[in-house]
Amino acid sequence: MAVLRGFLWLLGFLLLGDALVTLAGLPVSAGVAGLLLLTAWLMLRGTVNADIAAAARPLIGVLAMLIMPGVVGAFFILDTLAGQWLAILAALVGGTLLSVFTTLWLMRRLMGEESLDHE
Amino acid sequence: MSELLDHLLTTPLLAIALTLAAYFAGDRLLHLVGAPGWCPPILVAALLLAGVLALTGIDYADYREGAGWLMLLLGPATVALGLPLYQQMGHIRALWRPLLFCLPVATILAALYAVAIAWLLGATPETLASLAPKSVTAPIAIGITEQLGGSVALMMGGLLLTGVVAIGFVELVARWLGIRDERLLGLALGINGHALGTVRAFEIGPTAGAFASLGMSLTGILTALLLPLAWRLPGLVG
Repeated sequence: MAVLRGFLWLLGFLLLGDALVTLAGLPVSAGVAGLLLLTAWLMLRGTVNADIAAAARPLIGVLAMLIMPGVVGAFFILDTLAGQWLAILAALVGGTLLSVFTTLWLMRRLMGEESLDHE
Repeated sequence: MSELLDHLLTTPLLAIALTLAAYFAGDRLLHLVGAPGWCPPILVAALLLAGVLALTGIDYADYREGAGWLMLLLGPATVALGLPLYQQMGHIRALWRPLLFCLPVATILAALYAVAIAWLLGATPETLASLAPKSVTAPIAIGITEQLGGSVALMMGGLLLTGVVAIGFVELVARWLGIRDERLLGLALGINGHALGTVRAFEIGPTAGAFASLGMSLTGILTALLLPLAWRLPGLVG
């Protein structure tokens, strides 16, 4: 029962987020709005409701399975992307290399390195 | 045979069963062959599922319609990510100053690099919109792509590839820069490699894992807030 009660909590935050986003015309998805509302609510309460944890953990655990229908779709659009392959691959591989480098370099400058407590 | 398939496809049950079966089969297959760290189980599962659809002649659109019932759960699952985010608050408070500066810059650059390269090489606006959220965790990225008018299927493929190459590049660049701090490695993996990078970070160590999930959730939220706004700026997409 805890899982279902927690699920109801999550749906409540999702619907609240949806209502907020729709009323305010915000360019954010309902899920992200619900995520922020849930985080804010937990911070206000200062503790994690056991029901919410019981529903959230298994849902997060199967996230990969929930996005699978979308991933499968990637194999079925391959031929519609003719002529854009180079652009797409260069953007993904090159862009990721550049942003990994920037992130690591920037973080080291800003956060310093805890060189002693690794391993 | 095709009549039977048509009948079974009138409810979402077949699509859901196929998805679950491929998910578990992919997982088991990877365990059997001793999967390398960079190969996400979901890639194997998705390949299996695509193969089954192609063999049985089930139309992807029909499958997608049924499997949409599963994807409906992405909404509450996204909300659920608020729980680990709340549990990372200690880390966020301790590092709020560098994070406040670093995260927006890293988030914007992750999208900008990819969009700029694709734009220079002549990609269409729809492709640009599908590539922009490439470093964002899938449930959030789906919402972003839909708002930008991109293709969810292309975005998913891009997401998967980004996760895999981000893991390799973080290790390569970190070795090159001589970085061994788990906090930095974790953040870089989470910011650039979303959930796939986070899984890898947990293999490096618990600190790396905690910082990766922090980087992943904050990147997702920041991108969801900033990208749709940036997309409205005229001239970016042409």
